[in-house]
Amino acid sequence: MREIIKMLVVLTAICAVSGFTLALVHSVTKEPIEYAMLKNVKEPAVKAVLTGFENDPVKDRIVIDVGKDKKGKPVELIVFPAKKGGKTYAVAFESSAGGYHGDIGVMVGMDVDKKALSGISIVSHTETPGLGARIIEPAFTDSFKGKPIDKELGVGDINALSGATLSTKGVVAAVNKAQGLFDKYQSQMVK
Amino acid sequence: MSLTKEFTKGLWEIIPPFRLVLGLCPVLAVTTSAENGMGMGLATTFVLVCSNLLVSLLRKIIPSKVRIAAYIVIIASFVVIVELTMQAYVFPLYQALGIFIPLIVVNCIILGRAEAFAGKNGPLASIADGLGVGLGFTISLTVLGAFRELLGNGTIWGANLMWESFEPFTFMVRAPGAFVGLGVMLALINFISVKLDQRKRRA
Repeated sequence: MREIIKMLVVLTAICAVSGFTLALVHSVTKEPIEYAMLKNVKEPAVKAVLTGFENDPVKDRIVIDVGKDKKGKPVELIVFPAKKGGKTYAVAFESSAGGYHGDIGVMVGMDVDKKALSGISIVSHTETPGLGARIIEPAFTDSFKGKPIDKELGVGDINALSGATLSTKGVVAAVNKAQGLFDKYQSQMVK
Repeated sequence: MSLTKEFTKGLWEIIPPFRLVLGLCPVLAVTTSAENGMGMGLATTFVLVCSNLLVSLLRKIIPSKVRIAAYIVIIASFVVIVELTMQAYVFPLYQALGIFIPLIVVNCIILGRAEAFAGKNGPLASIADGLGVGLGFTISLTVLGAFRELLGNGTIWGANLMWESFEPFTFMVRAPGAFVGLGVMLALINFISVKLDQRKRRA
């Protein structure tokens, strides 16, 4: 009996100490991990759509609460601002819309001064290889550059892909959605 | 045995994974480049030294019936600490090593040293043992990684070392190349130690 109690006490104590230590380490590393994730996963896309910034867009990121999803969890929009001389001149953030097969994630860069798109980059997609997957090619994404951000885009405004109408429409819808978000939260994005 | 002896035995006498043929899974999986091998080796060394120290300090408190469970909790805690730290500060390496970081928990070398050494010896000797075996493991992984990287990619530590028309054996950085590389190194080490033995006997 004594032995069993000793085993219980020792194991419980070891587990408790270990749990406490891990909670401590977690709370210390939480912030750097989030930064490292965004830096390595999102930054390449941000760099593809924004140019000429002097700041670290990942470090200066702005998190905006944009309502709740179906389960009641808050949805966060992470905005990457591009600054020159301390002034935000462009922002980039992710938007998504349904393509031919699943959602297409698009990083949209917007030039605030020129009120024009500075570029888009496809972050994630599951479109058909050889057809819809051509949305990642510069020939397609570059055609969004310089389009106005206060006017909704149509398929005719850009270099639409033949044979991939739904994929094209998906990207256009994602960009239009980003315009809507920009319109609504502009004051929070550009400070 | 002296502390130096405890330390140096890990570097040759029982150098893992060639003499102490344990922990082969990460050895085969992550040694696609010298850098990955070294990162894995250092992460394992850290866990090994910390777990050896703690196991040795607690060896008289932990009842022998639940010792394995206690060792695993101790080892797993250090592995999570390593994992979180790597994720926060050396993300590219963390991504390259992937699932093999959490799998350090089940690396036989660590549990093996806890059971065979730290559970029976004092804290100082256990640290020396952990450092020795861990460094031995790191050296092995780095050398094996460099060997495979050189043949499979023509580079070491990312620097191009081969002549221009060199066609890399991509085979060497794939899974089968791991077995071939490990086999060649095992043969080499056995060959050297047989020669050393012969010389000792002759003298």
